[in-house]
Formats: sequence, structure tokens, C-alpha cells
Amino acid sequence: MNSKLKKYYPLLPVCVAYLILFLVGRNVTGIWQLVSTLLFYCALGQAFNIFLGMTGYVDFGYVAFLGVGTYGMATAVTGLAGYEGLGVGVIVIGFALAVIMATLLSMAVGAVALRLRGAYFAIATIGVNEGFRYLIEGANLWNGSSGMIFTAELNQILGRDLAGRVMTFWADILVLIIGVAAAVVTLLYMNSKIGYALTALREDEDAAKVMGIHVTKFKIIAFITSASFAGMVGAASWALKTPYVFPPEVFEIHYTIEAIIIVMLGGAGTLMGPLVGALIYGVSKYYLSIFLPGFQLFIFALVIIVIIVLFPEGVVGVLKGKTRNNRLKQLIL
Amino acid sequence: MSLLRLENVTKQFGGLVAVNNVSFEIKEGEFLGIVGTNGSGKTTLFNVINGVFFPEQGRVFFNDMDITRTPSYKRAPLGIGRTFQIPRPFASATVRENIAVGAMFGTMGKQLNVDQSLEVADHVIERMGLGKHRLKSAGLLTPVEKKLMEIGRALAMRPRLLLMDEAMAGMHPNDIDDMVEMIISIGKEENIAIVAMVEHIMRAVVGMAEKLIVLDQGEKIVDAPTDEALADSRVVDAYLGKSGETKDA
Ligand SMILES: Nc1ncnc2c1ncn2[C@@H]1O[C@H](COP(=O)(O)OP(=O)(O)O)[C@@H](O)[C@H]1O
Ligand SMILES: [Mg+2]
Repeated sequence: MNSKLKKYYPLLPVCVAYLILFLVGRNVTGIWQLVSTLLFYCALGQAFNIFLGMTGYVDFGYVAFLGVGTYGMATAVTGLAGYEGLGVGVIVIGFALAVIMATLLSMAVGAVALRLRGAYFAIATIGVNEGFRYLIEGANLWNGSSGMIFTAELNQILGRDLAGRVMTFWADILVLIIGVAAAVVTLLYMNSKIGYALTALREDEDAAKVMGIHVTKFKIIAFITSASFAGMVGAASWALKTPYVFPPEVFEIHYTIEAIIIVMLGGAGTLMGPLVGALIYGVSKYYLSIFLPGFQLFIFALVIIVIIVLFPEGVVGVLKGKTRNNRLKQLIL
Repeated sequence: MSLLRLENVTKQFGGLVAVNNVSFEIKEGEFLGIVGTNGSGKTTLFNVINGVFFPEQGRVFFNDMDITRTPSYKRAPLGIGRTFQIPRPFASATVRENIAVGAMFGTMGKQLNVDQSLEVADHVIERMGLGKHRLKSAGLLTPVEKKLMEIGRALAMRPRLLLMDEAMAGMHPNDIDDMVEMIISIGKEENIAIVAMVEHIMRAVVGMAEKLIVLDQGEKIVDAPTDEALADSRVVDAYLGKSGETKDA
């Protein structure tokens, strides 16, 4: 029993970090905006890590899953605006739709692209993101390039007061919950055969196959899981926080780049890494934009090069190495 | 009944015939040596047996089941394990985790959960004398330790057939003796057929092998019980020189 429980100790620092973030946000005036951004980066990193970190495959089209998740919530809210009795039920339906749509897209992309190796996969996914955006615009799906604005519908179902609270507060709390849930799922995977299979295929795909691992199956499991969390992040952070959606914004590749930086900086494939990476990235981006506006991207480009060269295992990877021989090791994963 | 049977297997790379019309069979628990100079097609033969490549011609049977086109990940659970000529550890994982992967997806994979697989790994680690490296990242092992770990990883699969590609290369002759002895005793205990591939005729391997196959430029030129094979004029010419002494290198 005790050793079973021990496997979950690494969730402790994750929860503590989120608690501190929440308390700081609630108690320091004027800081909720920053905290909200940080919560977004944390959830984004934690979700992306399940794929990028655990498989070693880079998906440059990742933001598309946030995009369809945003559309999922938007579709639910606009479609059900007439059913005022639904109340917050509409949000539950919106999340379900976001997850279903992200899952379907990831199955379609994964079935084809995940048969490609490393760099070929990465290149294919760039095409998917752009292609999907042009499909929405060209085929006039979901209003095409005019996008969807659904503030009125949200007000109609939830009432003005609650809708306002959702946009300014509850959406952020939902993002927090999604981030924690993604961390829990990451740890569950790490402790199961899925995690072992993913580590094996990340390190050496051919050797993994010879050891009896159905690598495509496990890559798809990681991909779908990661994509469905991304869909939820989109639904909460983009659709509920700002109830409108325009294709160029939700398929913007720079969110994918940010997610990559966060995961690499914190430590790809570690549990705590995305959280640490998100906090470092989010806070430094915030201050850089105040003190050195315009230079953030340049500085982050340098930072990421330095990390890849000097600390390929990221902050948490280095910490893990340093605590291997002391009691802290149970907490750091 | 043969455990593994190859019938007229040919594998080409473009115009190069790496394995040319090779047939042979191994019985359960047998220890077979395959000898051939660098480039004679040994590794390619292993790759055909465990499904990394499919042959252009010929058939591969395991337990009388045709596995010629069975994907490699389905062969491990049937009981085909291997080690690589150049070790391929899962570098960031510990030795224990590497070996547990063998247990998790091998012949017992369906029955073993993660904790049970880690227990199997611990037994194998003890048996292989890898105890002090148990929690080390496999990437940090020396090449010889990596080879040992790979053998452990394959044994943890509980294979019926173990393919070892140059498992002893780079080892000190005394260590080779110890290792071959250990592998053979595990093989006998668990009734595992073993195919050891070597570039040179090594005393340790040849001494223990029940049967020797000699490959030359992709073709099987000798397939006989060890003492007969060693007396074969082609083997004498190619490997033993005039003195007739076996080499250890
Ligand atoms: N993947 C491959 N692609 C092309 N040629 C290969 C490949 N693998 C092996 N070969 C060629 O096949 C021949 C046999 O190689 P190999 O099976 O590695 O021999 P051995 O293991 O006996 O040294 C060599 O000429 C080698 O260059
Ligand atoms: Mg070879």
C-alpha cells in the first residue's frame, strides 16, 4: 500500500505550485491577469508534454487541437443558446464537444502522420495546421474567416452575471483543473506499461519494436491524450475567457513554438517540467515585454539554443540528476 | 519439431544479395553458432528472423507457424528475443526499467503488470551480476555492460529463442568464458534455444555450440555438428589456418 502511494508523491510539488499560483493571484492586487496567462502556459505545456515529452515526436501543428477545442465550445454555446435551462450544463457539453473534435482530428492526423519518422512527422504536421485553417476559411466551416462571436449567447444561457464571472475567473480555474488533470494522467501513464513503452520508443524505436512494443499504437495513445487535453485548454482558455474565435488566431503557429519552448525548458518527458518551464517562460516573457519590448522572441531563440546544447534534459531533468541520491528523489519526476 | 526453420531465405539490398538462399533449423533448447566474416550477412539474417526486414524470397517458420511477414513487435511475444551488434539500450531509462520492458512485452507480457515486471527485472539483474548498476541510466554503462544489459533485457522476455549478435565482441576472453557459461546454463534451465553469431571462431562459443553454420558472402557453406564443421576443409582454410588452432579474439 505504502509503495503504491509513493508512486503518487511527485504530484505533491505539482499541487503545491498550483496552490501558490492561485493564492498569489487571489491576494496580490492586479496580478490575476499574469496568473491567468501562467495557468494557460502550464496547462498547455502539461498537455503537450504527454506527446512531445513522452514520445520525442515534435508536432508543429499542435495548436490546431486548441483551435478545434475552441470551436467545439463555440459550437455548443451558439447551438444551444435557445435552451436557457441548460445553465452551466452548456459548458460541460462544450467540453465534451471540444474533446470529441480534438480526438477525431488527432485520430485522422495520427493515423497518417504517425507512421512517419521524427523529422518527416514534424514537417507533415506543419502542413496539417495550415491546411486545416484554410479548410475552415475556404469551405466556410463555422462561419469561415468571419469567425464566431458568442458573448451574447453565453450571456443568454448563463445570465449576465455568471457569464461575466466565467470569463474573468472560472475559465482560469478550469484551465488550472485541466493542467492538474493532465499532470495526473501523465503520472498514471508513467507508472503504467504505456509509459515504459513510450520511453522505449522515444529512445530507440526499432529496438522497441523488436522488444515487442506496438510503437504506432502507443504513439497514437499519447497523441490522442495530448490532443484532447489541448482541446480542453482551447475550450476553457480561448472560448470561455474570450467568447469569440477567428481562424488566424487559433491556428497561430507561435503557440506551438511557445509550447515547445516550455516543455524543453522545463524538461521534456518529466512530470514537473512543463510547470517549471511555463512559470519561467511566462514570467520572463511578461517582464521582457515591459523592459525590452520587441526583443522577447530573439532572447527566447537564444535561450532555447543554450538549453538544447547545455541542458537537453531541461531544468527538471537536471534537478532529477542532482537529487538521485537523496530523499527528494521521491518528489521529483 | 523445429523451433525455428528458415526455407530458402533471400534478402537483397538493391543489387547486393546480403543473404542468399539460406535454409536451416534450430530445435528447442539448442545452442547454435553462426560464424561468418564481417559482411557475410549475419546481422541481416537476424533482422529477417526477428522481422526488422522481410525477405524477398523464402519463408520463416517459428513453431511451425509461418512468420515470414509478421511484424517484429508481434514476434517478441511469440518468444523471439535478440541483442544487437551495437548495443541499443533505452538510454534515459535505468537498467532495471530497460530489463523490465523485456518482461512487460515478452512472452509473459499479458500476465505481468508493471510491478511484477520490475520484480522479474530484479531477478535477472541478480542473475546477470548487474546489481550495482540497477538504478543507473542505461546510457551511462560501458559497452560491455550494455551488452550484458541487453542480454538481460532479452532474457526477461522469457524467450524460446535468443539471438545474440556478436554478444562477446570487445570482451576480455576470461569474461567471455564466464558469460557464455552463464548464458548456456540459463538457456538449459529455461529451455531457450540460442543462436550466437560471431565473426571469428571463438573457443568459448565453438566449444559449447552443438551445431555450427558458416556463412560466406550471404551463402551458407557449412551446416554441421560442431566437430564435423571444424574438420571441414573450407572452415579450416578460412578460419583455422594451417596450425588448426582456434582463435579467441
Ligand atoms: N540496411 C542495409 N542497407 C543496405 N545494405 C545493407 C544493410 N544491412 C546490411 N547491408 C549489407 O549487407 C551485407 C551483409 O551485412 P551484415 O548482415 O551486416 O553482415 P555481418 O553482420 O555478417 O557483418 C553487407 O554487404 C552490408 O553492407
Ligand atoms: Mg553484423
